[in-house]
Formats: sequence, structure tokens, C-alpha cells
Amino acid sequence: MTNLAIRPLPSSRRQRVSKTGVALHTGTAYLFLLPFLVLFGVFVVFPSIFGLWISVTDWSPFKDTQSFIGLQNYIDLFTPGSITFGDFWQSMGATGIFTVLSVPCLLIIPLLIAILLNNNIRGGTVFRAIFFAPYVLGVAVIGVIWKYLLDTQSGMLNHILGLFGLPTDIPWTVDVPWAWVSLVLVTVWWTLGFNAVILLAGLKAINPDLYEAAALDGAGVFRKFWSVTLPGLRPVMLFVSTTTILASANMFGQSYILTKGGPANTTRTAIMYISDQGLSQNNMAPAAAMSYILFAFLAIISVINFRLQREKTD
Amino acid sequence: MKKGIARRAIAATLALGVGIALAGCSGGGAGAGGNAVPGEDYTGPKVSITFWNGWTGGAAPVLVPKLVDKFNSEHDNIEVKNVPQEWGDISKKLPLAVKAGKGPDVAVAHGDDVATYAAQGLLLPADDIVDELGYSADDFPEGLMDAGAYKGAQYGIPWSVTPMGLYVNNDVLRAAGIDPATVPADKDSYMKALEALKAAGVAGEWVDGYVFTGTFEFESLLWQFGGDLYNDDVTEATFNSDAGVQALTHMVDLIDKGYSPPNVAQDGNIKGLLAGQTAYNWNGVWQTTNESFNEIDWTVAPVPQIGTEKAVWSSSTHWMFLNNKGQDKNKTAAAATFVKWMNENSAGWAETGELPAANEVRNDPSLVETYPNLKPFIESLPYAHYETSAPGITAANALITTALNEAVTGKKEPKEALDDAAKQANEILKQNAAKYGD
Repeated sequence: MTNLAIRPLPSSRRQRVSKTGVALHTGTAYLFLLPFLVLFGVFVVFPSIFGLWISVTDWSPFKDTQSFIGLQNYIDLFTPGSITFGDFWQSMGATGIFTVLSVPCLLIIPLLIAILLNNNIRGGTVFRAIFFAPYVLGVAVIGVIWKYLLDTQSGMLNHILGLFGLPTDIPWTVDVPWAWVSLVLVTVWWTLGFNAVILLAGLKAINPDLYEAAALDGAGVFRKFWSVTLPGLRPVMLFVSTTTILASANMFGQSYILTKGGPANTTRTAIMYISDQGLSQNNMAPAAAMSYILFAFLAIISVINFRLQREKTD
Repeated sequence: MKKGIARRAIAATLALGVGIALAGCSGGGAGAGGNAVPGEDYTGPKVSITFWNGWTGGAAPVLVPKLVDKFNSEHDNIEVKNVPQEWGDISKKLPLAVKAGKGPDVAVAHGDDVATYAAQGLLLPADDIVDELGYSADDFPEGLMDAGAYKGAQYGIPWSVTPMGLYVNNDVLRAAGIDPATVPADKDSYMKALEALKAAGVAGEWVDGYVFTGTFEFESLLWQFGGDLYNDDVTEATFNSDAGVQALTHMVDLIDKGYSPPNVAQDGNIKGLLAGQTAYNWNGVWQTTNESFNEIDWTVAPVPQIGTEKAVWSSSTHWMFLNNKGQDKNKTAAAATFVKWMNENSAGWAETGELPAANEVRNDPSLVETYPNLKPFIESLPYAHYETSAPGITAANALITTALNEAVTGKKEPKEALDDAAKQANEILKQNAAKYGD
């Protein structure tokens, strides 16, 4: 992408620019990119390479020299009965469950909301702000709020269910499957506004002539949705689905605050387990190895996601 | 210096302190000679020392700067810089900061972290400082000095203790026809009260499966039944002993027999107590500062004796001296002076809902007069048990909560849950031995 941006335009004026001019031009572009490049290098590139090194050592923050132990950390993670095997794969499973449950909700519900908001209804801006509002809150804030609402005995949700004659002792944060329902519910409530706003922008970018043409061809509401809206949203959908999958797979705060990973460790996600191992228990090396396995999974899923959506466009 | 008289008057209250302190003075000189730390006061050149602590909530963020300012104004040659931050941040930052020589000169940590820091070589052994300051184990509640010791050396000097107690909602008891004047102290009377509450349609004690506070209750009960969390040299988990099974079975029974609802969320029980939905809650001394209690008629008492002996869980905090790369001995000496002064002036610390560790300060009758709710906690200290002191122990302790959670949510029988947790805890203890060196 970068060489696209700095390639001289093929206009006659550009072609008269001497070779040194091109170099200067390129240099200026790099100069503008430099501040970000420094941040990117220090906080992304260097840590990822350093992390890779940590994962092949027995790295410990309180030893002066670290010894290379090859792929042992990775082998341990794939050896049943090792100290991390059971817990790590349970946490990966928890992350998987959460991602599978939350991503469809986080794509479909915001899409429906975006379509509703796109109809130029009265007070549309107000509704858009309302849907977006929770997203500006931090996870600690929404976690504490929902912990009160979802409390088994004194929570407002169970109280309201009781008013309708429904069970009043649902263990929203204490036992599965309710804990999963709560985590997905809270996450959807919290982040749907972001996806809805992006999708709304995508909807507004679809040429209204297409709808008109479709209407002339006798297309109904659903036909227009399938043949105009969805194809028109494809690039936006690719972005939204990719970021949503990654965000769900990196879920940490909601479990950490609402369920404490419980019951037992059922809702302890991969990130939660990795941070506990690496930062709380000082097992940096196995934790780094776990991060790379999680990274590999997410990379594969992202590539599949890109492939699927691209093939549809072709 | 005008500070002299006041300082000595305070010091005189520590009968043991003065004698050794003066001896320390004569030997210490400029304070930089060898390992000697001046007992009475640091007398060397002016130094600035950094103090890390995790007191970010409650009354502490107001109280600590006040104490530090007072100390600084009384000591011309010491300037203490107070650096509060989250407890978790301290444990993450300390190893790297100390290795780089940029750590604090003195810090406060919870009892279960001291050995971890010591094993990482982050701490200076404080035996000499303890001697020079004139402290002995008798100056603190029984067993508390050991909670800051590791491999025969003293690393932590006690600062505060936070035992558990039984919080009672008197209105709920009265509504159920129970006289709140006598709080049950043994199993029979406690179970009788729970039975009477149940008859009145109230689940009397809500059992939760989380660290706060189900784990603390389980550990209290384990000790009450004569068990212990680990063996003496902390190489093996023993919380799955008969005592552990009895303790956990008692808690699960409370749910099964309807004295507790199932699926209590974390803090659900203290919320229930404050909302008048339940009568008893096992909770820490820190709840005495919870302002919501002003809304109800409540009392607090020592936890009842359910097992064969009296015992109660308590946490503790300790002062530590940091082994920074190139640590200035003058700074450590000044830090020792600061620690001693803080302990002598710790009476106001009760305002934060923690008990001052120094017996002299805590047992002063004026403390209980000012904070009457602390009385039952102070009374239960003789049989309090503190957290296990071993490097990396919090990782093994986490499995106790897992077992508790599995048992109270009905996922596993108490014995099965504890056995599984103990097995995994033993693996972690082995890993810790390799990680921190035995």
C-alpha cells in the first residue's frame, strides 16, 4: 500500500520531476510515516519478535540469563497431562464458544438496527446515539453495572422476570449455560453500536439508483435486501466481521469481572488464562507460546474469512 | 531540633524499642557503616526515599499522604515520596524496576506475596533491621512475623492484619423472632439460629464460591477442623484432608439444607445482608468501613466455632525493604526509620478498616473506644491464621477457590473437588520449586 501512495502520478507535470525530486518526494513521505512507524516498531514489531524469542526459552523475569529450550513450551501445550495442557485448551474452548455465540449476534443485530436507522425515521440521530452510547463506556464500568443487574438473588433482571411470573433464581453469572447467555448479552449490548454505525455508513454509500432499478424490475423488500443491500455492504461487512471475530476472540474483561471465569473455570477465556500465567504467575515463556498458538488460530480464521468474502465478490 | 522531644515521647511508648534503639544509635554513627541500621533515627545526610503501596481506595488515599507529610515535617534529613498504585501493578513492575535500580526503597505487600518477592531476590533480608528497631515476634499477633519470613530470614515487618468476622443483620433476626443480643459462637447455637431463620422463610447465611469471601470462610473452617492448607515446608497441598472435606461439606450442606440459596454471585451475600434478605455473613474487617451499614441495625462478632477448635482466616500486610541494583544503604536506613515511625503512628490506620499490627498500638484502649466495631476482630487475633508464606503460592491458592466453586455449584462432590484441586496444586508447588529455586 505504501508504494502506491508514493508512486509519482503519470501526469506530464510529474514526469518532469527529476530523479532527485522523486527521492525527495519519497523521503518526505517516509518522514511523515516515521512517527507512526516508531510507535508501530516499538509497541508492535519489537514485542512480537521478542515474544517469539521468549516462547522458545525458559524465560523468567528474575534470572539474569535465559536459556534456549527450543519448542519445549509448545510441545508441553500439545502434551496431554502437562501442567498447562488441560487449562489452556479449556480456555481456548471457552474463547471458541464465546466467539461462535457472540459473532452472529454482533453482525445480525447491528445490521438490522442499521437498516432501521437508514430509513430516515424521526429522531434517527437520537436513536443512533442511544445505540452507540454503551460503547463509550469502559469494560470495568459495564462489568460492574451488569454485575448488579445480573445478581442471582438481588439482581434487577431476576426481579423483573418475577413480575412476569418467570423464574426468579436464574444464576446469570454463577452457572452455565446462563453465564454464557449473560456474557454474550452484555457484549452485544456494549459493542453493537460500533458495528451499527459502521454498517450504517456502508448502507448510506449504496447508490439509491440500484434500489430504484431493482424496484422497477419488480423486486420486493427481501429481494432488494439480498440482491442490493448485502452485495453493496460486502467490503464493509468484511471489515466488521473481521474486527468482530478478533474482538470476541480476545474477550477478557467481561468474564474477568462478571463470572470470574466461573463456574470452576468454564468461562475463563484464553486471554484471561494467558495473562494469569504470564503476568500473575510469572510463567512468561509458556504464556508467550500460548499467545502464538492463539495468534495462529486467529490468523487462520481471518484468512478464511477474507477468502470466503472475496470469492463472493468475484 | 524540635522533633526530638515528641519523637522520644512516642518512642517511649514502645518499652522494648527504646533500649535497643539507643544501643543502635551509639553503634550506627553516620548510618552508612556496614550493615548497621540506626535504631532510633536515621542521622545520615539528607536522602529522598520512594515508598510504593497499593492503597488506592477507601480512606487510605487521604490518610497516607497526611502521615507521610507529618513524617517528612518531623524529619529534616528524610523525604518520603508516596507512590500509590494498584496492588497488581506493583507485582508486575517490581521485578524489572528493582533489577534496573529504579524500584522503591520501601514498599508494602500482602503476606502471600512477600515470599514470592524474596525468592526473586527483590528484597533485602530485614533481620538486622528488625533487631535494630527492637522488634520481636511478641510485638505482633502470634504467627504474624512468620507470615513475612522465608527460608529462615525475615523479609516483611508487619503493618496491618485483616481477619474475618461474622456480620449480623439484627432486624432480620428480630423479624424471625430471634434475640440479636447473643450472637452464636458455636456450631449448635449457630445451626439453631439458621434453623429458626429457615422456619421464618429466611436463608440465614448465603454461601458463595468466590475468593471474596467463600474461600476465606472455607479456610477458616479448614483450620477449625484441625487441618491446614499445606504441609510445613509447603511441598504438598493438604487442604483435601478430612478437615478440608468436613469444612467444604459444611458449606455445601448449608445450601443443600436451604440455609443458603444456591448460586450466590460474588458479593451477593453482603448485598443480601445489607438489603435485609439474610441474617449472617462471614466477611473481612474491611467491611466495617462500608457506609451502607449505616442504613441497617447490625453487629459484628467473631466467627462461630463450627469445627473442633477456634480459628479464623486473616490476611496481613508487611513492610519490605527493596534490594535495588546499587541500593544506597543510607536510603534503607532512612526507610527503616520511616517504617518504625509509621508503626508507632498507626492508630489512625483503623479508619481504613484494617487492624494495626503493632500490639502496643492496637491494644491501646483508645483504639477500641474510637472504633468499637473492631473489638471482635481484635479478640479473635490470638487464634487467627495467616496466609501461607511461600513463593508463587497464590497460583496454588487459586485452585482452592476452583474446588470451592465446583462444590457449591454442584459440579463435584466436596472430596472429589478438593482432591482434584490438591493434585493440580501439587504440580504447581513442584513448578514453583523449580521456578524460584528451592
